[in-house]
Amino acid sequence: MSGAPPPAIEVHDLTVSYHAKPVLWDIDVEIPAGQLVGVVGPNGAGKSTLLRAILGLVRPASGWVRIDGEPRRRGRHGCGYVPQRESVDWDFPVDVLDVVLMGTYGNLGWFRRPGRRERERAMHALEQVGMQDLARRQIAELSGGQQQRVFLARALAQDAPVYLMDEPFSGVDAATEAAIFEVLRTLRAAGRTVVVVHHDLQTVEEYFDHVLLLNLRLVAAGPIRDTFTRENLLATYGGRLTLLDEAAEAVRRGSVDTTAWRPPPDGAS
Amino acid sequence: MIPVEYNTAVVLLGTAALGLAAGSTGSLALLRGRALLSDALAHATLPGICLAFLLTGSRSHPALLLGALATGALGVVLVAALSRRGRIKEDAAIGAVLACFFGAGIALSGAIQRRSPDAAQAGLDGFLLGQPAGMLLSEALTIAGVAVATLLLVALLAKEWKLVCFDPDFAAIEGWPVRLLDLLLMLLITTTVVLALPAVGVVLAAAILIIPATAARLWVDRLVPMLILASSFGVLASVTGTLLSARFPALPTGPLIVLAAGSLFLISLLVSPRRGIVARATAERRRRRERERRRLLGTIFTEQEAAPESPVSEGALARRRVWGPGRLRAHLEDARRRGWIRWGPRGIELTDAGRQRAARIVRASRIWEQYLLSQAQIDRDLIDLDAEEIGHLLPPHLVAELERSLADRGLLPLGSEGSPA
Repeated sequence: MSGAPPPAIEVHDLTVSYHAKPVLWDIDVEIPAGQLVGVVGPNGAGKSTLLRAILGLVRPASGWVRIDGEPRRRGRHGCGYVPQRESVDWDFPVDVLDVVLMGTYGNLGWFRRPGRRERERAMHALEQVGMQDLARRQIAELSGGQQQRVFLARALAQDAPVYLMDEPFSGVDAATEAAIFEVLRTLRAAGRTVVVVHHDLQTVEEYFDHVLLLNLRLVAAGPIRDTFTRENLLATYGGRLTLLDEAAEAVRRGSVDTTAWRPPPDGAS
Repeated sequence: MIPVEYNTAVVLLGTAALGLAAGSTGSLALLRGRALLSDALAHATLPGICLAFLLTGSRSHPALLLGALATGALGVVLVAALSRRGRIKEDAAIGAVLACFFGAGIALSGAIQRRSPDAAQAGLDGFLLGQPAGMLLSEALTIAGVAVATLLLVALLAKEWKLVCFDPDFAAIEGWPVRLLDLLLMLLITTTVVLALPAVGVVLAAAILIIPATAARLWVDRLVPMLILASSFGVLASVTGTLLSARFPALPTGPLIVLAAGSLFLISLLVSPRRGIVARATAERRRRRERERRRLLGTIFTEQEAAPESPVSEGALARRRVWGPGRLRAHLEDARRRGWIRWGPRGIELTDAGRQRAARIVRASRIWEQYLLSQAQIDRDLIDLDAEEIGHLLPPHLVAELERSLADRGLLPLGSEGSPA
């Protein structure tokens, strides 16, 4: 086959509903490979559900999803995933390294235990998020930002071509926010595709190349420059005034700071 | 070794093996949120035992335990169906199934008792509260065999079950068959509970799964140590209960085993080094004392700030009504011993070290206050009122902005700018 490479993620006709209430309505979108992609929209817009549908964790009423041009593989080498921090019990009896090692289980297969190679991979992932010194820390003793970084390290240990992250920037301290963004850029530089559910309109232009504006339906999708516009944000957020002002502010700032998106200089945080 | 009779030795073998299996199985049940379900399961076995007796007329363990397995599993399936399709909360479904099945079991055993009192006396009553005294060697060996198989299975699937218990969504994404692993775990729990019936009975069977595991969790923070410790606690409780019952034949074995496990739990709850009540209370007391110290330094600092020329008197601090006179005196004495304040000729003075620390404390608390007052979107997770340094918690530009607005109103403590991190 020749021509353009297949999109990293292709979603066709996707509708998800709980009983009669739609959560996502007829989503049709292609996500290009090798980009940082933000998924933006108001609360209850279905952002997390979109990720969960792409991952196969919710059964859609209709539609299908392809990853790298193929039907989603239930097994290994699928998607890296960073769930919302609140989705697990942080009082579980494991330490930081145990959690990160879980990212290597997929390659290990049944019954085999993580060995030296897996441990090295996990430690490398921890170094990337700046947590190598806390490898033996019980997870209940971590701060919120550190917990988020553990989840990110676990996803890095998965070593997947496509990453899906649900609000990794929410409720994290400044150091963690910088560390996460650094990891995102490293992933992009390695040709990975990263899709991030994001709630902070102020940082969308700084962080992402491509954006999906979502509110039950897909309002717009495309490169930041063409898509993250005032009209589109109005269409996404409707009459929610405070958010609207914030959106206007973000757009105004954006028009001053960046005419076209450029990666920030190295070492910026 | 304590000399024991042959009978007691057989019972010891059986109950110890049971404790071994129940500790590990119980730990996994607990971590997967199945503790309550295993109790419902245990109660749901009673009608099965009675029905098996009615159908076969036999008092042999295999037949009755098969009956127990059948209705126990039925109860679990019913709970799952009710809480999934019927939109009933799981705890309500568990409560309903537990009570109905147990009620049916009691009714059936009443009917049996009227028809043939002897059989009931000999066989069925033992299943209610356990009656291991009459355990045969073959039965004890069966339990031991199942216990060994249980441990092997747990060792084999520890990684898989750890993943499913901690984060089932992640397990599903990685391609693990979560439902199959859950089903296997439920089968393991069911087998252990049914095996426990002759020894500790329907009412208490779940206890020997749940209590040793809960006690073990208080001591250790990783899965494999928890499995090992829970199994050890299970064996210890079983042996203690059995030996006590052999020494005092009037006391039934099953309840004694559960009480022994309960004692282990109680001791763990009190004295475990990090999660124990004593340790927690000590840590909390220390934290509170530290907070009081900071408050005193901050108060002296603000008094001095308000009137730099006049010294701070004990009376002025007392007028703040934060501490009673006795407390205040004790706190001041403590601060003096730590070298933060001294008694000057005209009142209380901060030493250089005390002033530096006090300025840091006041600066941090005012920045937090300013943050709460001025920011539209407050991130609760970031706020740590005990932190004296906030540079790593808030973005640097925000800290600078908050400091500027404090300085504009003359509220930025002098001497805090160059304070060490």
